[in-house]
Amino acid sequence: MSLRVLNPNAEVLNKSAALHMNINAAKGLQDVLKTNLGPKGTIKMLVGGAGDIKLTKDGNTLLKEMQIQNPTAIMIARTAVAQDDISGDGTTSTVLFTGELMKQSERYIDEGMHPHVLVDGFDIAKRATLQFLEKFKTPVVMGSEPDKEILKMVARTALRTKLYESLADQLTDIIVNAVLCIRKPEEAIDLFMVEIMHMRHKFDVDTRLVEGLVLDHGSRHPDMKRRAENCYILTCNVSLEYEKSEINAGFFYSSAEQREAMVAAERHSVDERVKKIIELKKKVCSGNDSNFVVINQKGIDPPSLDLLARAGIIALRRAKRRNMERLVLACGGEAVNSVDDLTHDCLGWAGLVYEHVLGEDKYTFVENVKNPHSCTILIKGPNDHTIAQIKDAVRDGLRAVKNTIEDESVILGAGAFEAAARQYLINEVKKTVHGRAQLGVEAFANALLVIPKTLAENSGLDTQDAIIALTGEHDRGNVVGLNLQTGEPIDPQMEGIFDNYSVKRQIINSGPVIASQLLLVDEVIRAGRNMRKPT
Amino acid sequence: MREIITVQVGGFANFIGSHFWNFQDELLGLADDPYADEIFKHQQMDMDVLYRSGETPQGILTYSPRLVSIDFQGTLGAMNSRGSLYDSSPATKDVYTWEGNISTHTSEPQKKNLFLQSLDDEQISNKNKGGEIDHGREYQEKDIIECLESGVKFWTDYTKVLYHPKSLTELSGLWMDAADFSNYGIGKEALHCGHQGEEIIERLRFFVEECDHIQGFQFIVDDSGGFSAVAAEFLENIADDYTNTPVLLYTARDPRSYKKLGQRNEKIFQVLHDAVSFSRLSSLCQLIVPMGLPFLSTSKACTFLSIEDEKPYHSSAVYAAALHSTSIPFRMQYLRQPADPHDVSGAINMNDMVRMLSDNARKNTVAILDISMPAPSLRGKDVRQSLLSHFHPLTYEIEEDVEDLHSVEAVNIHGVIGPGGHCASVSEVKDSVDYAYDHAKSRPKFCHLSATRTPLPIPLPFPSIFSSLIGSQGELQGGSTTSSTSRGSLDVHSIPLATRLRMSNAILPYLESRLNNLMRFGIQRGAAGSDLIRGWGLSRDELEDMGESLTRMVMNLKPGDEISDDSD
Repeated sequence: MSLRVLNPNAEVLNKSAALHMNINAAKGLQDVLKTNLGPKGTIKMLVGGAGDIKLTKDGNTLLKEMQIQNPTAIMIARTAVAQDDISGDGTTSTVLFTGELMKQSERYIDEGMHPHVLVDGFDIAKRATLQFLEKFKTPVVMGSEPDKEILKMVARTALRTKLYESLADQLTDIIVNAVLCIRKPEEAIDLFMVEIMHMRHKFDVDTRLVEGLVLDHGSRHPDMKRRAENCYILTCNVSLEYEKSEINAGFFYSSAEQREAMVAAERHSVDERVKKIIELKKKVCSGNDSNFVVINQKGIDPPSLDLLARAGIIALRRAKRRNMERLVLACGGEAVNSVDDLTHDCLGWAGLVYEHVLGEDKYTFVENVKNPHSCTILIKGPNDHTIAQIKDAVRDGLRAVKNTIEDESVILGAGAFEAAARQYLINEVKKTVHGRAQLGVEAFANALLVIPKTLAENSGLDTQDAIIALTGEHDRGNVVGLNLQTGEPIDPQMEGIFDNYSVKRQIINSGPVIASQLLLVDEVIRAGRNMRKPT
Repeated sequence: MREIITVQVGGFANFIGSHFWNFQDELLGLADDPYADEIFKHQQMDMDVLYRSGETPQGILTYSPRLVSIDFQGTLGAMNSRGSLYDSSPATKDVYTWEGNISTHTSEPQKKNLFLQSLDDEQISNKNKGGEIDHGREYQEKDIIECLESGVKFWTDYTKVLYHPKSLTELSGLWMDAADFSNYGIGKEALHCGHQGEEIIERLRFFVEECDHIQGFQFIVDDSGGFSAVAAEFLENIADDYTNTPVLLYTARDPRSYKKLGQRNEKIFQVLHDAVSFSRLSSLCQLIVPMGLPFLSTSKACTFLSIEDEKPYHSSAVYAAALHSTSIPFRMQYLRQPADPHDVSGAINMNDMVRMLSDNARKNTVAILDISMPAPSLRGKDVRQSLLSHFHPLTYEIEEDVEDLHSVEAVNIHGVIGPGGHCASVSEVKDSVDYAYDHAKSRPKFCHLSATRTPLPIPLPFPSIFSSLIGSQGELQGGSTTSSTSRGSLDVHSIPLATRLRMSNAILPYLESRLNNLMRFGIQRGAAGSDLIRGWGLSRDELEDMGESLTRMVMNLKPGDEISDDSD
């Protein structure tokens, strides 16, 4: 109350109003994202005020594009987006689950139940569900040779919720191969080693995996070859441009001659560096038909380019920092920071290097490499919003494969887990709970069903029929999911529908946490600029 | 080639940038215009420094600014973030990636104002040149100006430049009002949201890769809120990737951002933000120029201007003019001997400029920006004497009338009117400046003068901010025309302009206030703002480092103290 004294303009909502504000916000957000879920969901096209188009079926992207102002909705959105940061997917599910928990709670609260009791029930149910998840998961052995089929099934399940079937299937292979390419035994998978490059070109089915690297720039000299075979690759981070000596050198020329001398000296040292590279080239390329490519993270100025071109070297400047690492993983050799002790061992190798020009955009392909540990997914699409959407989907797919390898387990999809977990909570956990907290467990259990329910709804099925069929099978002891074509129960294992264990775990964790926080709000004080807006 | 890449971060920075690029566009236009003044045809200026040549996928050649601009989602108004330059066909609404349901959510189209409409019409009529007479709607230029005066909401409302599709970025997913994006802590995480940070760095790399010989980055940062943290994160990356490329940073503030701070808490919030953001930004660039007066309209710098502080469209125009002027020496064609040394002199590249100004024994990297808009004509001795007194600062919280024997200055004068009533030649300008310094009370240790004969052209969308005393060439008309109406681009075609970057201990109050606030509210035991700072994700060590570097800056400048050069 002290705040009301301090700021008489602050508007205080009492407990029940506050609760309903929170519940409504959660339901509102749920309604927005609901249609996204699953392979039968609705894709959303957002057309901005200036005619710019964004295309998305991803909850995460959609949330970021929405200019949410409601504080409750922001809270949920932040949790859901954090979900994506951690596990790469599941934003929509988190929002749906949170919304549904609030919706289920509303009923009990209207009947006079104290939110605290519900929250206690949620907590019990959450712990029980997580335990159940451990039992329910399907372990996958990831030895030195991971089971490619299971990885493909997980990737396909994820991709089919974002892209149409045949494109999803095509990308599935690309993505699984990409992750297997960069995977090194005993090391965490660094997805950054998969470069995702895009070209505005032709149709989306041209998307392909390049074993090697695609750089988004080309050489800057007219005499350099546009295509070369059998290439030695020198990856370096050495300035090959004349730089006005260090900014803080604390030195001033006292005469024009001195300045000239300084310039000449600096030029000379740059030329020396270039010459060392040329020497190496001569050493390794003499007497055979191999070529030499320099890919530099720093700049290369025109005089240096000239020297290199005359020596028959292809040179690219200002490569991405991350490409230094990728190049070495793809081609071998090492990234050098100085040209002082260049040897044959520093060099990588690629069978083919060529340039592709599209308007002012240049691409350099470094392909046919031996034993690559880095690769590029080259996305082609007719326009920017299509490319952006495929890119998002590819990122999600990569995460799904990585998660599977790291989790060493998967979860049956198509709503099978949710139905099974509900049954477990109702039949077994609820009995062990004393008093009213039982109702909290029940609410939690019913809220889990939001996933199969929404899947059915988005597929145009009769929700109630589908749910009854699903839960009925589970009561009979069969673990089944929902066939979204027919509404009949199916065996997800047979159909190859698998979800990520870590994503599911994260959803079950974060949904109840945020719902509990929102339920336990005692009062809302509206003050300040932002909150005075109608919510 | 000595390319400069411009980076604009934050709302007010983009308002300034919009004017800045309008000036450049006007200069380019005038150089090709057969009816333009002779002066503009021999500008002796290398526009390639700021602009890049490109080609659309359709093979149409383009010439667009080397620019990376960062702003909030939704601040581009009626402009598409990809610009219209490379957009060949209107975006198709076919969805290739999904066979299921599609729901389209269309926001209310942003209406283009009269000015933007007129640009569109012009483009269309240019396309079907010959034969077709544009019998479309004829706009009176007066109407356009009126519409801009009353209705500029976004910086894109008055921009006439076409940007490269990689130039404009919008930060999304922040879920807050621009008004709440008001402090260092909030901005810190903005770039980490998704892939936005990386995307921006990639865009900068795109522009850098093209440069054969980059001379530096020119940053304009709106440092009144979270964008200073965005800029700092960005600058950190630049320092890593482009180690030896100098950064010249202008911080700019909208007069509106100096709002009345009622509560003590708010005040602490604000001063801590100022201290932290200044100390972070100054550590990440080679030269920092704070601009932004809280009461621009009544400041001395605007004696001959009538500005409304409420309109960023107005206030940004003054800063943009200053920025244009200080960037001129970087793009004079100096390698080749200029055809006519009467036209231009004092070319210097950014690196040398930065070193010249900052690299004195005092290691001061904070410059004061003074402007004289319009610059006085050089008629008569008394004017020549008072040339220097026409400079007024655009930097806030500095000491006036300070004698500093160690100060270093870079003066840019362009397009001033000489004794004959015509554009003064460079040598005349030089003489006047020498004369003025000879008769001044105190002289700086060193002064670099750049001069050209090209005045600042006033493009059509420039706001009507000139007082009625200013003539069409920017000359001050005598007489006592008391009409209070302000004049705009229709009456004034160009103005002479002079600016000065000054490294002097006059900046001390600015530094000291930041240092004191940081100490008082952030670092001292039990300081009122220490929780706040922690909330911004700054550790105590970081804070103490900031305090130390600010202390060093202040100590280095203190007059009297022998320069205690403890470092090597």
